[in-house]
Amino acid sequence: MMLKFKFAIIALLIISSQNIMAQSKTVQGVITDPSGFPLPGAGVNVEGSKNSASTDFDGKYSLKGVNPTDKITYSYVGLISQTITVGTRTTIDVVLALSTQTLNEVIVGYGTQKRTKVTGAISTVSSKDIAAVPITNAESALQGRAAGVTVVNGAPGSNPTVTIRGLATMGNSAPLYVIDGVLTSNLSGLSPNDIESMSVLKDASTTALYGSKAFNGVIMVTTKKGKKGPGQLNFSTYIGSQTITKRYNVLNTQQYLQYAKDLGSDLTARAAEFGNINTNWQDQIFQSGLMQDYNLSFSNGTETSTSRYSAEYLKQEGAVINTGFERYSFRANNTQDIGKLKVGSNIGISFSTINPERSSGGRTLLEHAIKMAPYLPIYNDTNLGGYQGPSAVDGNDAENPVRVANLGYQKINNLSIIGNIYAELEIYKGLKFRSQVSLDYYTGKDHTFVPSYSDGSYHKQAYSTTNETNTQGQTIVFDNSLTYKTTIAAKHNIEVLGVITKIDGKSQNLVAGSRYNISDEIDQLRYNEGSLSSANYVEKNIGYIARINYDYDDKYIFAVSGRRDASSRFGANNRWGNFYSVAVGWNIAKESFMANSVFSTLKLRASTGTTGNDRIDNYQYAATLLADYNYPINGGNAPGVSLGVASNPDLKWESKNDRNIGLDFGLFDEKFTGSFEYFNNKSSDILFAVPLPASVGSAGGGTQIQNIADVKVTGYEISLGYNDRKGDFTWSAIANLGTSKNEVTSLAPGVTSVLGGPTARAGLENFSRLEVGQPLFYFYGYQTNGIYQNQAEVDAVFGPGQTIVKPGDIKIVDRDGNKVINSDDKTNIGNPYPDFTYGLNLTAAYKKFDFNCFITGVQGNDIYNANTFDLKGMNRLFNASTDVLDRANVVNGVVTNPSATLPRAQGADVNWSTANQRYIEDGSYTRLKNVTIGYTLSGETFGSHFSNIRFYVSGQNLITITKYSGLDPEIARADTNANSAGIDLGRYPQPKSVIFGLDVKF
Amino acid sequence: MKKIKYIVAAMFGILVINSCDTADLELTNPNTLSPDTFFKTAAQVESSVNAAYANLQTRGLYARNFSFAMDLIGQDAAGNPQLEGNKKPFQDFSFNAGNDIIQYYWESCYLGISRANFVLDNEAKINALPGAVLSQEQKNKFLGEAHFLRAYYYFLLVKRFGDLPIYKTGTIIGAARSPKAEAYDLIRADFEFASQNLLSKSAEVVGRATKEAAYAYLGKVLLYQKKYDEALVAFNGVTGFSLEDKGNFYNNFMDETEHGKESIFEIEFNENNGTGNKWDDAGNSGGTGFAESTLRGQEYGNLSWYNVYPPDNLLNSFEAGDLRFGDTFYVPGSKYLNGTRTMTAQNFSTSAGIRNAGWKKYQNYYKREDEATQSSINFKVMRYSDVLLMKAECENQRAGGSQTTAIAYIKEVRDRAGLTTTIAPTKEAVFTAIVHERKVEFAGEQSRFDDIIRWGNASTELAGTGFQAGKSELWPIPNRETSSNPNIKSSDNNPGY
Repeated sequence: MMLKFKFAIIALLIISSQNIMAQSKTVQGVITDPSGFPLPGAGVNVEGSKNSASTDFDGKYSLKGVNPTDKITYSYVGLISQTITVGTRTTIDVVLALSTQTLNEVIVGYGTQKRTKVTGAISTVSSKDIAAVPITNAESALQGRAAGVTVVNGAPGSNPTVTIRGLATMGNSAPLYVIDGVLTSNLSGLSPNDIESMSVLKDASTTALYGSKAFNGVIMVTTKKGKKGPGQLNFSTYIGSQTITKRYNVLNTQQYLQYAKDLGSDLTARAAEFGNINTNWQDQIFQSGLMQDYNLSFSNGTETSTSRYSAEYLKQEGAVINTGFERYSFRANNTQDIGKLKVGSNIGISFSTINPERSSGGRTLLEHAIKMAPYLPIYNDTNLGGYQGPSAVDGNDAENPVRVANLGYQKINNLSIIGNIYAELEIYKGLKFRSQVSLDYYTGKDHTFVPSYSDGSYHKQAYSTTNETNTQGQTIVFDNSLTYKTTIAAKHNIEVLGVITKIDGKSQNLVAGSRYNISDEIDQLRYNEGSLSSANYVEKNIGYIARINYDYDDKYIFAVSGRRDASSRFGANNRWGNFYSVAVGWNIAKESFMANSVFSTLKLRASTGTTGNDRIDNYQYAATLLADYNYPINGGNAPGVSLGVASNPDLKWESKNDRNIGLDFGLFDEKFTGSFEYFNNKSSDILFAVPLPASVGSAGGGTQIQNIADVKVTGYEISLGYNDRKGDFTWSAIANLGTSKNEVTSLAPGVTSVLGGPTARAGLENFSRLEVGQPLFYFYGYQTNGIYQNQAEVDAVFGPGQTIVKPGDIKIVDRDGNKVINSDDKTNIGNPYPDFTYGLNLTAAYKKFDFNCFITGVQGNDIYNANTFDLKGMNRLFNASTDVLDRANVVNGVVTNPSATLPRAQGADVNWSTANQRYIEDGSYTRLKNVTIGYTLSGETFGSHFSNIRFYVSGQNLITITKYSGLDPEIARADTNANSAGIDLGRYPQPKSVIFGLDVKF
Repeated sequence: MKKIKYIVAAMFGILVINSCDTADLELTNPNTLSPDTFFKTAAQVESSVNAAYANLQTRGLYARNFSFAMDLIGQDAAGNPQLEGNKKPFQDFSFNAGNDIIQYYWESCYLGISRANFVLDNEAKINALPGAVLSQEQKNKFLGEAHFLRAYYYFLLVKRFGDLPIYKTGTIIGAARSPKAEAYDLIRADFEFASQNLLSKSAEVVGRATKEAAYAYLGKVLLYQKKYDEALVAFNGVTGFSLEDKGNFYNNFMDETEHGKESIFEIEFNENNGTGNKWDDAGNSGGTGFAESTLRGQEYGNLSWYNVYPPDNLLNSFEAGDLRFGDTFYVPGSKYLNGTRTMTAQNFSTSAGIRNAGWKKYQNYYKREDEATQSSINFKVMRYSDVLLMKAECENQRAGGSQTTAIAYIKEVRDRAGLTTTIAPTKEAVFTAIVHERKVEFAGEQSRFDDIIRWGNASTELAGTGFQAGKSELWPIPNRETSSNPNIKSSDNNPGY
């Protein structure tokens, strides 16, 4: 009746019966992982000597000159090292258990927890998963691997947008990141190679300890530490290229000339001027970009200390011209035991340079590229700057995107230091005091220089411009904690934690710009047409934290935590917030009645609790004046001061009540594992910048921060895993699926709806709306119902006499039947949130080959494609989608091609009103995110200079199945704000990439 | 080992004590001024008034949209093919409540009103300042400017939207629409206050509203209400002005000749003060930042964007020999760049063919070969010729008015244009003459639409353009307002929208 636990440590020693001499001898054996798979390149070292070896591909080793009193340490990355005294044996086979850190123990707030005792919803990703696939940012490792977590990547060097369990707020929905106990807002400076494990804390029982910062969930990151044993040097590298292959189908020169003619512009002669060429502007802005990464790390440890040092160089050319990212990152992690005192530090430093995607005139490169006239050449030596752009005679003012991208430069240089120093003292058995100081520091310089140019009559600049933004910020956190851990009567396990935390944040910026009309040779600021401003921000928090964990014999688990937080972002009346959580768990598999069941794990758990959110700008509760008005009086400038942003002294915490029920199971000795989660979260008093009536004349975009709405978010998460082995063939499959449905349950008194969000193009209508009973920021606009075929159809709706809507125009549904199309006719035209998201991860290994395949997708979401507004809107002459060839052709007031899918060109305003069902598309997709095939050579091949070498080739985003017409359904989000969900403004698409890599263990 | 224990324990103790100090959570914003401590110096009072002017410079108003939106609906300008989708509806009256240009017009005016109200809400604080800090005359003058600007913005609004939400004091609660007569009452009272308290042009620095400007606008507002006798009284307060000399009509439209003898009120621009945030959102209506240049030259210029051009109907309205033609339009053969270059027909080409003319008023071509986005040329929104023609209109319309006197005013304007004046002294003939004279005198100066709406002849003058009587006289209240102001619903909008 032996119960087998999920990640139990099995040590198997086979003692040879052979008699041995007392003198030195040769010891040999095989090292395997718990599933019996041989471990190539595992370390075998005699403690305290330089005598060492490593295993070959079959996991075999042979070590000469061993004495019976020697202790041999067996180690392998990601597994627990074992030390065995040799004694009389000459053959020692060892099974190394999976690392407690990555699997048996889970990182939680202010400590770790045995997985069997976890009562909350936590997804973990280990270094093995991260190493399986080359990624440039650590967040990407979570995509599709952690149920309920969505990751949207952007241009090289930009921070991905990460959302946990759907949107529960209207502001910044990014989670809190905690790197080795240091709070931070992203993982940009961290090399994925330095990560030991990542835990995603999804429910309040796990996040409430972070109180006011944990509203959107917490991502805990543990970096790799040194391991006891001799030094281990690793080198890894990859090189590859990335490309964007999808294009919008736009008109070629011949088609464009005809289309222009239909719109009243004869450009035949103009096109002939340039030799009737055909420029594919999209091809001109995309390129295949080279990526390369080099990583070197060294780790070692003694009985009383460990250290690990690593350095990485990453260089990534973007798939869009003149974009790229270059980063140097360094990390040093150390621990030192001095009796009962343990001190340590984890410090990461990174320098990076980003060449971001540039834009001009408020339009993205892609927008320029798809709208640009195809008969224009890219270059013209006779123009200042050397580029050709449109003139009034072209009747199309899209800018030359190659000039926008390549002329001058924009460089963002960042330096970040993130780290901590701590001391931990065992005052009494089980009682520990820990003090930690952590720092998150950054400086950034964003420098843009554009020399003078003249592409044509539309786009020119007679001087050079230089703009620079310098930012600097630091957050210092003092944590002081006391933990007491004891077991009473062998079965009552108790752990108590108390923490006092104090956060001091400071940031400042200096923004300056100038122009120079004498020369293009100087790219620095000068006192010419200058602009200059600076600002300083301070944020302070104090938190008191307590947690009690209790379990009876690992069977019945209770956890209670509380946090009292104060934030300087709120007025004195509402400054303090209280957050708590309660959780229970029942390890059913441990009950005696389960003794003979197939379940190796069966655990039911439930939790509830609250977290808060203070992510609003600083100082919002205080009324301020704005001193940024100017008017020329008497030749000079007369500065003006007036009321600034409408303040709100009653601002209070946004809070969220989470409820989570989970079931974990493992069958047939954990061959089949899975978990199921249900959550029901309610956010209250959500902070939002509510648009004020324009007529009251409020500044700052006309908004006031208010605690405006309550939102309910519910969903399920299912994770299933299976692993099996047949001879040399091992394989595993892990699938997960998550749903998240949000609904606005109430709005502040007097507010029936709020319209907000980004607009399709600057200045056009908002179409994201808040309303009770609807999802957060659903798409709100006009319903369409085909095309008016003749005047009778038009008159049937509007009555006779109106002259705006004509045959060939889109039928906007007059929902209230008042014969006028106005905002009362708008309705729900789309939901930006998927019904579910999913991921499937397949891994397999056969002899020296390893294989990983990863599929991810979303189902049931709508995307607002702002690019089709340009491509199919036809409100003025721009290059357009080839679909416009099938637009309504109106002759004598009758549409002659009733099957036409698009309305007449340049029709009534409502045809191209941005809040229109025309631009909504199904955003579902399935994507082969990654395929990797590797081959490992053992060190012997190279005369033992290495323990082993793994070669691999990896492809990313190779296949995408979607109906979405945009370049990439995965990126449909304008920015990190909730109200930009599902809006594709032409953001940087995910490139396809192919990478060759090499990992060497010395 | 024990020592270390104590040292560490002591360190913890200190940190714990530090953590408990909550007093420093009380922060003040170091980046902004506080209203509680403001209005203490003359400079502060002046700056609060300056802020109310700044909204005149938004793209929603004079930096860009006002020119083409008003010229298009008045058919003073026609759009070339590249005219953008949100601007096109102004030439055929197909705009709706979602149009951003209408929204920015609305926002710019109301933001300006709230800045003026900020000054007036603090009237008690300003008046309480000791005379040594600010004299009573200066206090009155600053308050007068706030009244002038509030009235100016309300006048812009009431002409376009009719019934308005009216705010006489700062608030964040949206008001319902009040009858437009109430708006006119407030506008009149404000201009009257301004005319009593502002300084004369001779005593004021250039750029600020003056006593004469207040009288001119008071008269104009009364004229719009058909209160001709009262309007005449107000116009008579506009003293000390005369027309630019014959041959110098173009002085009204150049940078170097601003604030001349004909100029009563100007919207100020000066590119040397900064041309920043031309394209960002704040420039649409916020009035913040250094957006001290206009896009008019670039937008209208036939060597630049050439988004709009003068239609033939307008060109043909000029009598032969009218000196103003050559100062209003460029045509093939026109000299530019200090007379060093000559325009050719090719300079008027568009993707829809070669146009007959391009705009010259407010263009920089007289001295520059090219219009960059920046132009410093002020808009002369109240010229003395306007006062003369409005006086003629009052005289012609008022009970017992003198047509001969009216004709004399018109003749003054026509003499300067090099034209003879033969108008029959009948009410109808004088009216016809005024209609013609205003069309050519103020071509491209955003006057035409207001004039024909006021005269009630829009249906005939704008026949065939898409103008719908009973609807197109007013713009729709923008959706941005109806979606955020609980007291104005979409169904409260103007007829037809």
